[in-house]
Amino acid sequence: MIRCVILFCAFALLTSAALGHHGWGSYDASKPVTVTGPIVTAKFENPHATITVRGNDKVWTVTLAPPSRMSSRGATEKIVAVGQNVSAYGYPSTVEKDEMRAERITVNGKTYEMR
Amino acid sequence: MTDAAPEIFVALEQSSFAAAVRQSLWLYPAANVGHIVALTFFAGAVAVMDVRLLGGLAATSPAFLLARARSFAVAALAGMAVTGCVLFSAEASHIALNPAFQLKAALVAAGLINVAIYEFWAKRTVERLVPGATMPARAKVAGVLSLGIWVAVAACGRSIAYF
Repeated sequence: MIRCVILFCAFALLTSAALGHHGWGSYDASKPVTVTGPIVTAKFENPHATITVRGNDKVWTVTLAPPSRMSSRGATEKIVAVGQNVSAYGYPSTVEKDEMRAERITVNGKTYEMR
Repeated sequence: MTDAAPEIFVALEQSSFAAAVRQSLWLYPAANVGHIVALTFFAGAVAVMDVRLLGGLAATSPAFLLARARSFAVAALAGMAVTGCVLFSAEASHIALNPAFQLKAALVAAGLINVAIYEFWAKRTVERLVPGATMPARAKVAGVLSLGIWVAVAACGRSIAYF
C-alpha cells in the first residue's frame, strides 16, 4: 500500500507539473502584451468570460475571469460589451494561437483586475 | 468550441441546456462545489471499504461495514455523475479532447470494472467472514486497485484545467 501511495504521489507531481489550457500555466508571463481596441465579440459566460478584440495587428481572443468575479468587481456584462474600447494587459497563450489571458483590463479609464 | 471534437460533443455544447449552464451566474460554480462535496463523501466511503478489504478495521463485521459504506459511495457517485455532466456540457467539445479528461474517463471505467469484478468474484466470500478473519487475496487486490484508481481519478479531474 505504501508503494501504491508513492506511485500515486509521483503521478500527481508529474501531472501537476504539466501546463494547460485554463490554468495560468499555459500563458507566457515573460512576454506580457497589451491589446487595445474595440471589442468585436463578447461572451459573458462560465467558466470564463471571453472577448475578441481588434488590436493593431490582429484580432485577439482575450480570456477574462469567471463572470461572478467580474461582476463583483464592477466589470459587468455592459462593461465588456461589443463596441466598447478595451485595453487588456495579459499574457499570450503558449497553446492557442492569438489567445491571451488578461491580468487586468481597462474600459472607459477604469481598470479591473481579473486574477 | 472546437469542431475537432466528435459531433455528439459539439451538439451537447450547443444545446440549450449547456448554454443555460454557461449563462447562469451560479449554476456552473454550484455544480463545481457540488462535484467536490460529493467527491469528499465518495472518497471517505471508498477509503473505509478499501481499508476493510486490506484487513484494517479488523474488529468490524465486513458485511455490515461494507454495506453501510457502499450506500454512501453509491449516492456520492450519483452526485458526482450529475454535477460532472453539468460541468462537462458547458465545454463538452474541449473537454472531450482534453487528455487529462480522457485519462480520467478511462480510469473511471477501470474503477467500475474493478467494482464489478469484486461484486461477482469476491463479495460473497468477503461478506461471510467474521470480524478478525483474514481477508482473501482477491479482496486485497480489489482494495489496492480501488484506492489507486480512485485517487488517480481525482488527480486527473483536477488536472483537466491545466491541459
